[in-house]
Amino acid sequence: MVRKLVLRMLWVGLVAVSAAACGGAAVPQEALTAAQASVKGAEVGGANEDPKAQLHLKLANEQIEKAKKAIEDGDNEVAARLVDRAQADADLALALAQQAKSLREAKDADEQLGKLKKKLNQ
Amino acid sequence: MFRVTTTLSMLALLGACGTTLPPQELVDARKAYERATKGLSAQLAPAQLDTAKQALDKAEKSFEDEGVDPPTVDLAYIAERKALIAEATAAKVAAERDAKKADKMFKDAQLDGLDKTKAELNKERQAGEKTKAELENEKKALSAEKVARAEAERKAAAAMASLAEVAKVKEEARGMVITLSGAVLFATGKYELLPIARDKLDEVAKALTDQGYKGILVEGHTDSRGKASDNETLSLKRAESVRTYLVSRGIPSDKIRASGLGSSRSIADNSTPDGRANNRRVEIVVEPLK
Repeated sequence: MVRKLVLRMLWVGLVAVSAAACGGAAVPQEALTAAQASVKGAEVGGANEDPKAQLHLKLANEQIEKAKKAIEDGDNEVAARLVDRAQADADLALALAQQAKSLREAKDADEQLGKLKKKLNQ
Repeated sequence: MFRVTTTLSMLALLGACGTTLPPQELVDARKAYERATKGLSAQLAPAQLDTAKQALDKAEKSFEDEGVDPPTVDLAYIAERKALIAEATAAKVAAERDAKKADKMFKDAQLDGLDKTKAELNKERQAGEKTKAELENEKKALSAEKVARAEAERKAAAAMASLAEVAKVKEEARGMVITLSGAVLFATGKYELLPIARDKLDEVAKALTDQGYKGILVEGHTDSRGKASDNETLSLKRAESVRTYLVSRGIPSDKIRASGLGSSRSIADNSTPDGRANNRRVEIVVEPLK
């Protein structure tokens, strides 16, 4: 326990040192850009057309905004965690949009098949 | 050593504060992951399910090590979403599989329908060909009939032509009238046919056989010499002789009648020998079909 505490303090000290050197924890710029790209991808993938996907898209956008604000405030550690959450929501939004699309297509194919069968049996 | 210490310290914590409840996010993540493992994910989205497992392990570890701190909550939040992604991906793959199956069935049914349509068209075409063959046959039959009719007409015309050589033939309102001179048929005062008369009547019978008619009337006529009653009797007997002979040559007896008109219908001057010769005659009236 003592040892762990020492480790943790050491880590905090390191962070403090680097923050002092570079102006706080590194800005999670790369992760933020990736999350923003994923949000765009989810939108293109039709996330706005499915309610569940839309919800997660909204969460992703909100968290990206919060992350940006945290970066402005210099709280890069919080920003990084918010970006990670946003990334997970954006990924889920895309997966849900793709699921909805596939289900729709399967239903269409089934309907077409039904119509054709009906036509052929006339 | 380190782990034992941690566990001990956790036990100490438990002893002090009771069970540390996991954050709601971790509870949700566990539930989502469990649901994903029970669904189609293992089969249809194994990579995503594995990612979800790693994310959940990370959250569990953080919870174990650090308790309910913001990073633990965030890791659980992310883990739940990873599990949901595995589930959504599996559902997507399943739907794609269903769509593919339906598409294949659609194409098969289309081909099947095409085959059916083809078969129907074939049937129709065959029926059409049959009709064509039937038409052809009808045409043949028609032309055969036409040929036969033309042949019959030709025969009839030929018969009429040869008849015209032995008798006078003219068209009157009552029908075609074949006039045979009495001199060639009968001896004076007799009603038995002369041998030469038979040849002539054979021609008449032949011509009549190919003719369509309603009935035939054989009329006997005389000149005006002698008693009128005798003339009538003789003319009737002569007409009947002719009728009998024609029936013997194939004219239906129920269609042929005989009548004796004596000198009542003279066609020439009875004061000259030529005129009287013309008046002595047998007229065969062919009554036309309507």
